[in-house]
This record gives sequence, structure tokens and C-alpha cells, in this order.
Amino acid sequence: MSKQTAMINRYKWYEVISIYAAIAVFLFFVLAPFVEGFLVSLKPLSRLFSSPYRFWPEHGSFDAYFTMWDSVPNFGLYVFNSIFISTVVTVVVLILVVPAAYAFARFEFSGRGPLLAAFLAVNMFSGAVLLIPLFRLMRSLGILNTYAAMIVPGAAFLIPTAIWLLRTYMMRIPKELEEAAYVDGATRLYTLRRIILPLAMPGITVVAITTFIGAYAQQFIYALTFNSKTEFMPLPIGLFAYFGRQEVIWNELMAASFVGIAPALIVIFFLQRYLVSGLTAGAVK
Amino acid sequence: MGQLHLNKVTKSFGEIDVINGVTLDVKDGEFVVFVGPSGCGKSTLLRIIAGLEDATEGGIVIDGVKVNDLAPVKRGIAMVFQSYALYPHMSVFENIAFPLRVEKMPEADLKKKVESVAAVLKLDQRLQQRPGSLSGGQRQRVAIGRAIVREPKIFLFDEPLSNLDAALRADMRIELTKLHHDLAATMIYVTHDQIEAMTMADRIVVLNGGYISQVGKPLELYHKPQNKFVASFIGNPKMNFLPATCIAAKPEGVTVVCEGQTVTIPVEPRDGLTGEKLTLGIRPEHITLGAGDVKFDIVPSVVERLGVNTIVYASASGDAPFSAAFAGAAAVTVDTPATISFNAADCHLFDDKGEALERRTDLHEIDLEALNAV
Repeated sequence: MSKQTAMINRYKWYEVISIYAAIAVFLFFVLAPFVEGFLVSLKPLSRLFSSPYRFWPEHGSFDAYFTMWDSVPNFGLYVFNSIFISTVVTVVVLILVVPAAYAFARFEFSGRGPLLAAFLAVNMFSGAVLLIPLFRLMRSLGILNTYAAMIVPGAAFLIPTAIWLLRTYMMRIPKELEEAAYVDGATRLYTLRRIILPLAMPGITVVAITTFIGAYAQQFIYALTFNSKTEFMPLPIGLFAYFGRQEVIWNELMAASFVGIAPALIVIFFLQRYLVSGLTAGAVK
Repeated sequence: MGQLHLNKVTKSFGEIDVINGVTLDVKDGEFVVFVGPSGCGKSTLLRIIAGLEDATEGGIVIDGVKVNDLAPVKRGIAMVFQSYALYPHMSVFENIAFPLRVEKMPEADLKKKVESVAAVLKLDQRLQQRPGSLSGGQRQRVAIGRAIVREPKIFLFDEPLSNLDAALRADMRIELTKLHHDLAATMIYVTHDQIEAMTMADRIVVLNGGYISQVGKPLELYHKPQNKFVASFIGNPKMNFLPATCIAAKPEGVTVVCEGQTVTIPVEPRDGLTGEKLTLGIRPEHITLGAGDVKFDIVPSVVERLGVNTIVYASASGDAPFSAAFAGAAAVTVDTPATISFNAADCHLFDDKGEALERRTDLHEIDLEALNAV
């Protein structure tokens, strides 16, 4: 062997083959719909249901990526709405969750355990179960058919998970750091701002990403029920516009889906650079 | 000024009493070490002085002011933590400057202060680095820098050297002693390491189970331990304890039978001792090969040769293992019986409650004042 690896990382040839086979099976399940969707977006509509079925597109082209803008002229607005709603949800969630998670991680107060359990229980209900009460609530508040109708429930249902995630992260920050700051005269808020927030940044980034993705994915149900104005519609509803009365424009629908998730992908790509581990190295010991 | 007075301080966590009424006076400029086994309450006591824990009862008085309800910074204390507690996202400069930033000191003054502290601690070349890139000893110095930059009245150290390796620990011990001399500040230092206590302290407070076992200068604790706990805690290897029976208590000393031999030990006698079961304590380093006042045979089971001395472990009549330290390379081998002895003047005597009968060692003979001038 030219390159030495540690004993713990050495495998027999059949172990290597089974590891890669397992990865391949897993990846196939996860990625096949995406591959198929992408190939569909390249096919001309008339050839979609040609028999025999062909996996590789004949006469494949990116035409659908251009014609989709004509079939649904508002598509750009829907994408913008989606990003806008998700961004506002993420910001709102972060503003509320950072102090909350800190409190849950550090302060002893009565009802902390039950509250955390309640948050977990809320996660068991999807928003769909509560649609009718939510609808009545929105109506009483007078925010039906506004952005708020999608932002408020969106944020509300994402907060519990975010608190749990960030609380766990913050509990890993050594308590001595806060005690040292306290001994040096810093207030709780000063400590939160100067010590905890910078150290919790990777955790906050994870929460931001999951919240953004969550908000991006869950809009459908709220948008469908709480909003009937076209100009506020987000991406999932916008995709519905490709379902015509006679036929579904499958290739443009697939193209639109890929275009629609592109902004989210870009946001995540940039955020993940902040997921640096080992930021607390050198704090204690 | 940095006087500290603890008045009957107690601390309970629920049902468990951790500190059981500690009363102590610390003079200005004194280096006091709290020492004791794990769980004896020494760290808790320090945290109570710091203001990180509340005392359940009792008063903490610094320079005549009761500080029980004051925040740490108002008490005029600074603390160095066992884990250093450096802020990993800040440079060394910002770490040291942190307490000054909190009190919003003007930038120019702040810079001057941090730089002078860094010079004292030989950190001037490291100011722009992050704690993560420093060695253990340097991190420790940054933590100390953060404490001294505020010029507190009292420094509190919570086992600051326990994360360092042995060589570095010895170096830092010397540096801390020098620092104490230069700053002339009151320092309270918690450790479980009796070497640190013996070498650095002006006075040692031995804690056991939330009580103060004894307070005294290092050599006082070594030569005149007030009870069995202090006797066994101070000194390495530990003091040996042998069962003994008192047969007479006269003004010149207490006569006991130990290992079948009769010996008169120069300690203060007390009424009603005759016939009592006592415990005789003898330090391993006071045992010699060959003749002495009390002589008996041991069979060495382990022999450690350290060059400067030879330590022998054996089982004796007592239940605890028996150890002896002979100077240089002693002629003992494992499983070969050796005759050892000790002198009556080196012995300690403890009653059945573990309290010591005061030895007639004159501490002035070992020139305590010169050794330990405060």
C-alpha cells in the first residue's frame, strides 16, 4: 500500500463495495425525482408521453425555461413573494428565538420543562390540522389576504423547532464564559451581545437555514387558505398556474420548479459558509 | 486594601450542607490557599466570596463593608477560572481589555493599561492572536491578565494550574508567587494540590466536609497538625498511622506502647489519657533504616527509587499501607524484610476523636518567621 490509512479507516474490498452500493441506493431514491424532473423540463411537451418511454430526451432543449415566462407572466412575482415571505419569517423567527433559546438554555424558571415539552407537542400538529381555527383567527385580526396571513402562521410553527435547535447549541457554550463576564461587571444583555451571540453564530446559521427552508416549503397550505390575492401568491401556488383547463404544461412546470428553488439554493449556499465548527476552541482548557 | 472577613458562612444546596459555618479573616496583601479533597466545599466557598453563589447564612465583609448583596464587580474582586474562560472569538488584547470595555474606559487609557499588563505577563507579542492559538501556559496568563487589569482588591483563583502539565505548573507557581509579591494584593487561591498550597501560601486553610480543619502557616500545618485529617492531607507520601495504647501521661510527655515497644512522646499530656487507645502518626520521611526509639521489621512490597530518595511501601499492623521515605538510594529490595525505626520526637499522637495532642516542637527552632515572613 502506497498510502497508509489509520487502521480504523481500513476496509476489505467487499466492505468498500457494499458501502458504495448502499450510498448509490440511497442517492438514487433521493435524487431520481430531481433527475427525472430535470429531464422532463428539457423535453418538448409533445414528446413527453411518447411510447416507448425514453429516459433521455430526444430533441432536448432549454426552450421550456424561456416559454414558461410567457405562459405564466406573474411567475417572477411569485418567486419574489416566496423569497420575501421566507426572509421575513426567518428574520422574525431569529429575533424571537435567539433570546428565547438563551433563556431556555441558561435560566432556571418554573415551567421551563413543561414549556419545552409543549413546544415539542406543537410540532406534532401540522398547520393543516389547525387551518380552520387559524382562519378564524386571521379573520378576526383582519389580516386575511395580506402577506401577514402567510408570515404569522409560518413563523409561529417554525419557532418551536428553532428554539430546541438553538437551545441545544447554546447549552454547549461553557458556562464559565458567562460567569467570567459577570465577575467582570458585564450585564446579561452585554454578555449575550458580546459573548453568546458571536459564539452561537454557527447555531444561529443552522436555525436560519432550517427556518428559511421550512418557510419556503410550508407556504403552500397557508397561501391556499389565507390568501386569495394573486399579487401575494408564493411560488407553490404560482406553479399551479401551469395546470391549464385542458392539459398540464409539464415541461414548463418542471422548469419553473427548478427556477423557483434556485434562489433558496443560492441563499443556503452562502449561509453555509458561516457554519464553521470549532469556533469555541481555546475557550476552556 | 483588601481585607476579607467571613462570618459563620454556610451554604446548602437543598438538603445538602456544603459549607458548615466558616469563619475566617484574611489580612490585606495575604496569600491564602484553600486546600482540601474534592467535594470539601473549597470551590463553593470561593464562589461565595466572588458573588457567583449566595451564602445561605453568614456575612462576607470586604474592607469593612458587608458585600452579600453586591455584584462581583462591586465587591472589588477578580477571578481566574480553572478552565480559563477566555473568549475564543476575541484577540488576546480584547480578552484582557474586556473588563475595561465593560466599564467604558476611554480607548487611550485602555490601550495603555492592557499593554502594561501584557508586558508584565510577557504577552506583548501575542496581543493580536486568538486564545485558540496559544499554549496552555499563555492562556493561563491571559486569564490572569484579565483579572489584574482591573486592579481589584482581592484576587480569587479557582484551581488555575490544574489544566497544565507538571513542568509548566511548577513554572507558573513561581510566576504567581512573584506576581503576588509585585502586586502586593490579597489573593485567595483554591487547589487540591498540597504542593501548590505549601509553596505559595502565607496561610493555608484546610477544609474538610464544609468545615475548616485547620488554618495556619504551611510549616505549622506540617509540624503541628491539629487533627488526623490535616496530618494525613499535608505531606507526601501520607503520614503513617499506627495503633498505640497510652500507659502514662506525665509532664515530660505521653508514654505509649506501639508495636510492642514502650516510648515516651513529647506532647502536651491531658487528664484521663492513661489506658486510652491512641493513634501514633509518623511521617514517612522521618523513618530511617536501622536503630531508633521504636524499631520494627517491614516487608517492602513496592520500592520507588526517585534518586533524591527511595520510597518503600509495605503492609504494617495498621490497616492502611505503610510507607517510608529514605534519603538517597537505600539498600532495600522487594520481599526482603528490612528493619526500620523512628524517633519519639518526630511522632504525632491523636486521641480517639482524631484530635492531636499538641507537640512540643518549638516552631521558632525551624525559624518560621524568616521562612514565612508576611
